[in-house]
Amino acid sequence: MNLLSSLFADGIDMNFEYVSSVVVTGLTVVFLCLILLVIILFLFGLVSKARRKSDEKRAESKIEEKSFDLDSAKTQIVKTVPDIEDGIEEEIVAVITAAVLQMSENSGKRLSLKSIKAAKTQRTAWAAAGIIDNTRPF
Amino acid sequence: MIDKFLDTLVDLATTSGFAGFINNGGWKSLIMIGISFVFMYLAISKGFEPLLLLPIAFGMLLTNLPFTEMYHPDLWKITGEGIDFGKVLHNGGLLDILYLGVKLQLYPPLIFLGIGAMTDFAPLIANPKSFLLGAAAQGGIFFTFIGAALLGFSAAEAGSIAIIGGADGPTAIYVSSKLLSSGGFKIDTGTIALAAYTYMALVPIIQPPIMKGLTTKKERSIVMGQLRPVSKTEKIIFPIAVTIVISLLVPSAAPLVGMLMLGNLLKESGVCDRLVKTAQNELMNIITIFLGISVGATTTADKIVNKEFLGVILLGVAAFCLGTACGVIFGKLMCFFTKGKVNPLIGSAGVSAVPMAARVSQKVGQQENPTNYLLMHAMGPNVAGVIGSAVAAGVLLSII
Repeated sequence: MNLLSSLFADGIDMNFEYVSSVVVTGLTVVFLCLILLVIILFLFGLVSKARRKSDEKRAESKIEEKSFDLDSAKTQIVKTVPDIEDGIEEEIVAVITAAVLQMSENSGKRLSLKSIKAAKTQRTAWAAAGIIDNTRPF
Repeated sequence: MIDKFLDTLVDLATTSGFAGFINNGGWKSLIMIGISFVFMYLAISKGFEPLLLLPIAFGMLLTNLPFTEMYHPDLWKITGEGIDFGKVLHNGGLLDILYLGVKLQLYPPLIFLGIGAMTDFAPLIANPKSFLLGAAAQGGIFFTFIGAALLGFSAAEAGSIAIIGGADGPTAIYVSSKLLSSGGFKIDTGTIALAAYTYMALVPIIQPPIMKGLTTKKERSIVMGQLRPVSKTEKIIFPIAVTIVISLLVPSAAPLVGMLMLGNLLKESGVCDRLVKTAQNELMNIITIFLGISVGATTTADKIVNKEFLGVILLGVAAFCLGTACGVIFGKLMCFFTKGKVNPLIGSAGVSAVPMAARVSQKVGQQENPTNYLLMHAMGPNVAGVIGSAVAAGVLLSII
């Protein structure tokens, strides 16, 4: 201790006690602050975990409800006979129906498929003129 | 007529910058210009912190070209009533005006705002224990304080040198400009900033040997588990909670931590896109240019070519090495207590220097096990180090 004190004897405004107090206080305060934050974040984590679990449970129960809705949605789709344009293949109808069914499952709403028509591949002259007019400034 | 012509030529020669190199120790300016070239080379060719090192190097070049009158060290001399800012505004050059932001401690908190807007604290929130590594790495600051005291530096000088160990440029500038504001010291903010940014640029060279020396091959090969997902609510509450806790415990750290957390809250809230973009880009870039060039301008030859600067350089590297070592040793302790679940290499990232230090942890880890990805685990202590160094800065400002 005396040896250490003598090392600092020539310092301008610092002695051994002062230096050691800065070091000990500094390290203690830094650790204290960050340990406090560790505790707060740990508690955050616990609350978040609990919330996530309850959310998962709620989601599970919703899925069960949805599966009930899904059945009715299926019935709805089967019940309605969509108006299918000539020339559209059965595979395409099956894919679109499956997509609508999936949408019913996700949204929990009853969706019905009323008609399937091929999109027009060519614009009418009026539509083409309108697009040219709108995009001219760019 | 010929006499007048010759007189004019002599006048031109004596008032030119070339004459300045010969008179009154002007050769020292040549050394400084040489150092600025080295920094430019490191920034451009080696890619070492180019965003800061290049403006610093250019500021250093400008200020050491004789008679450029862009920076006047005499204006910053502290008289009985402190710095005469009116005189600076009336008689100062461009770099004097820019340096006001350093002297008034404006730039560091604004840079922290930008850093906050760019930082993702999710790895830290997911693994709060990382905070301890960030705290341990601040050991370098306080142990270097002892070294500076032993070398005969005053308390304010020792505190300014020690903060280099935090590996955080803005924090080092903030602390040194506050501690050294009363004048009469052997070193100044420019000296500290130069040393801090030099070592930050050299992180990939300084850290790996210490990391390898303090860990075994087995420890370096540890693969850490996946981090848990962090909810948006947690990310929003985090900056608010940190600001309140740190500001209440260490009020003098509030400007740095507060701005860091404001930037982060803007980002995580998801409702201030324009402000976030400005903080991350325009504001950050403008302040970086101002800070770099004005800090570089303060490195005049008489302040750098002396034994005090040599002391700062030696203590700075000691601070950096000690900080890295403290982080790794604490990482080893955590590895021991968690029965090998923590790779001690992530401890070295506790010395701020975001994200360079985390990248070094990742690189050293992959040298042992190429399939090991420590980057996200190292980002936790890395961002904890930013908060830790700001707290350490506040502590130094409070005590000294």
